[in-house]
Amino acid sequence: MEISCKKTWCLEELHAMTYSFKHKNKIYKLSFEDEGDRLVVELEGSKKPIEYKKIDDYLYSIIISGKSHSLAVLKKGKEIQIFFQGNLFNFEAVSEIEQARGGHTASGANQISAPMPSRIVKVLKEKGEQVEQGEGVIVVEAMKMESELKSPLSGTIKEIKVSEGDTVEGGEILVLLSAD
Amino acid sequence: MFKKVLIANRGEIAVRIIRACKELGISTVAVYSDADRKSLHVLLADEAYHIGPPLPSESYLVKEKIIEVAKKSGAEAIHPGFGFLSENDSFADLCEKEGIVFIGPTAEAIKLMGDKITARKIAQQAKVPLVSGSDGAVTDVEASVVAEKIGYPVMIKASAGGGGKGMRLVRNKDDFESLLRMARSEARSAFGDDSVYVEKFVENPRHIEIQIIADSHGKVLHLFERECSIQRRHQKVIEEAPSAAISAKTRKKMGEVAVKIASAVNYRGAGTVEFIMDQKQNFYFLEMNTRIQVEHPVTEMITGLDIVKWMIKIAAGEKLPFKQNNIHMSGHALECRVYAEDPETNFIPSPGILEYVKLPSGPGIRDDSCIYSGYEVTSYYDPMLSKLIVWGETRDDAINKMLSALREYIVLGVKTNIGFLIRVMKDENFKKVNFDTGFIEKYPQLLSPTSEELDLPLIAAGLAIETMDAQNNNKSSKPNSKWKSHARKLGVSRNYML
Repeated sequence: MEISCKKTWCLEELHAMTYSFKHKNKIYKLSFEDEGDRLVVELEGSKKPIEYKKIDDYLYSIIISGKSHSLAVLKKGKEIQIFFQGNLFNFEAVSEIEQARGGHTASGANQISAPMPSRIVKVLKEKGEQVEQGEGVIVVEAMKMESELKSPLSGTIKEIKVSEGDTVEGGEILVLLSAD
Repeated sequence: MFKKVLIANRGEIAVRIIRACKELGISTVAVYSDADRKSLHVLLADEAYHIGPPLPSESYLVKEKIIEVAKKSGAEAIHPGFGFLSENDSFADLCEKEGIVFIGPTAEAIKLMGDKITARKIAQQAKVPLVSGSDGAVTDVEASVVAEKIGYPVMIKASAGGGGKGMRLVRNKDDFESLLRMARSEARSAFGDDSVYVEKFVENPRHIEIQIIADSHGKVLHLFERECSIQRRHQKVIEEAPSAAISAKTRKKMGEVAVKIASAVNYRGAGTVEFIMDQKQNFYFLEMNTRIQVEHPVTEMITGLDIVKWMIKIAAGEKLPFKQNNIHMSGHALECRVYAEDPETNFIPSPGILEYVKLPSGPGIRDDSCIYSGYEVTSYYDPMLSKLIVWGETRDDAINKMLSALREYIVLGVKTNIGFLIRVMKDENFKKVNFDTGFIEKYPQLLSPTSEELDLPLIAAGLAIETMDAQNNNKSSKPNSKWKSHARKLGVSRNYML
């Protein structure tokens, strides 16, 4: 049986829901199907029954084929943060409308933004200059440490919005790029 | 013994010192900046006094403010912890002049060892092996001449350095100028002094250090070594004791050399003599840190001695009651530093609110931390959240215990290096003691989670929306309803109903 939201709506009695999440610019789909006494999850074409309990405001216990897992979850609007086995995963819930608009294009891929409040120590490139992916563009200092912010793509510097000595906020866009 | 001690620090080390004082029956005085009103050291201390704005230069580094609080509260001694004023000889001097005991070495010993160039000279006189390099601080021109003479690769180091700040490895001549500039500018902002010196870089070096403890009656002892070769940004991340890479003979020799250096400056209290060691166990003096070290717990775990308590007792004039051959080590201890930082983007700090924290526990597991659910990591201070320390009968036991403890650790809200630490503990080269200070650079695959780890997080993300919807609709825990599906059909996305 094929599970997808639309089909379920038409053929079955509204018992499955599909969700889409964006993680590092890739879209992942999963669906839950309520089979009455159990919940079945379908992910990347494979289906497994799962059992879960919410332990407190953040902690979920999930049991899949006898294997017990604990994950902590933080929701902030569309952003969902999951802590699992030492790693933090940031997901963005994506609606079907956004997907139709082309959810695959990376929102942050053609710019460099400040990862945190910092001071611009040095601007290594100029407007119009060519950059390779991974090449350093700006040196920032935060928490007494200097780090180089690298270009996410190979292309041309379209605009540099800051200059040396500026103080910037976290998330502030510093450089606009255009891909080759 | 003192009746009241002021702790001139913040974070986990302040908490550690407060606990030691309490165990000794000493009343504790905390100081805090605007950013630390809700920090654990303030909550745990018997007294707490506000000392200014978040910037260290306006609070934790202002000697006069600290002295004023000590006088006001009637504290007889000040423990400086590490960082901040801990290696500031003029502060130690000021304490003495004001009749307050500085829990640490004499101002003179701090001064001698604090200047890395003088320290080299002392080591030279004590016939301790040294890495070749510039004879003191150098100008830009001199620096490149020295680098040329001793041959690349070279290390540029801040004269006032520590904690890996103002330090750069230069592999070839072309990079020298820009890296020298970065080292100087980092040194200037971290220490207010941009003088640097140049040293030959030892290939595939290991970082081994000896813990020193000395009383004020002339007894200087060592508490064996710690290996701290797993570093990022020249800052230690994982430490262990004993080192699995040195022989009993090397251990003995290093211990003796360290005692010799400490004795040369009439050392008092706890200190650490750092060495770099090549693959043939040749070791060279690096520097002496005249304070308690972040990684002191691993030594405590294998020796059974409480170094922080001994610092306080020594400052109060007590004699060390044991001899070198009474000190034994047992088992193996590991420490992982848990940082709010992102290993995937060059370990850049990740400040924010720790929405949810769950600390590991169990036999042989020690968590020296200052965090709790709701704690805010600000960008004013070092982003270290905690030190997770374990003891095992063998190194393998300790690794397995660390792995298990790290997997219990939960920090939600900011990026941390916990996943990275887990991957190191699972790494075959780490297990086989096959590493040097270049370990992290050499194995970049350890920086990111593997792709198969994504399945469960995705399921949890889905469940989070499911349960939220269930709650919002105030219905059964069944994951969906006709109402929602209908809304969906009409083009109303559930994601906007969050």
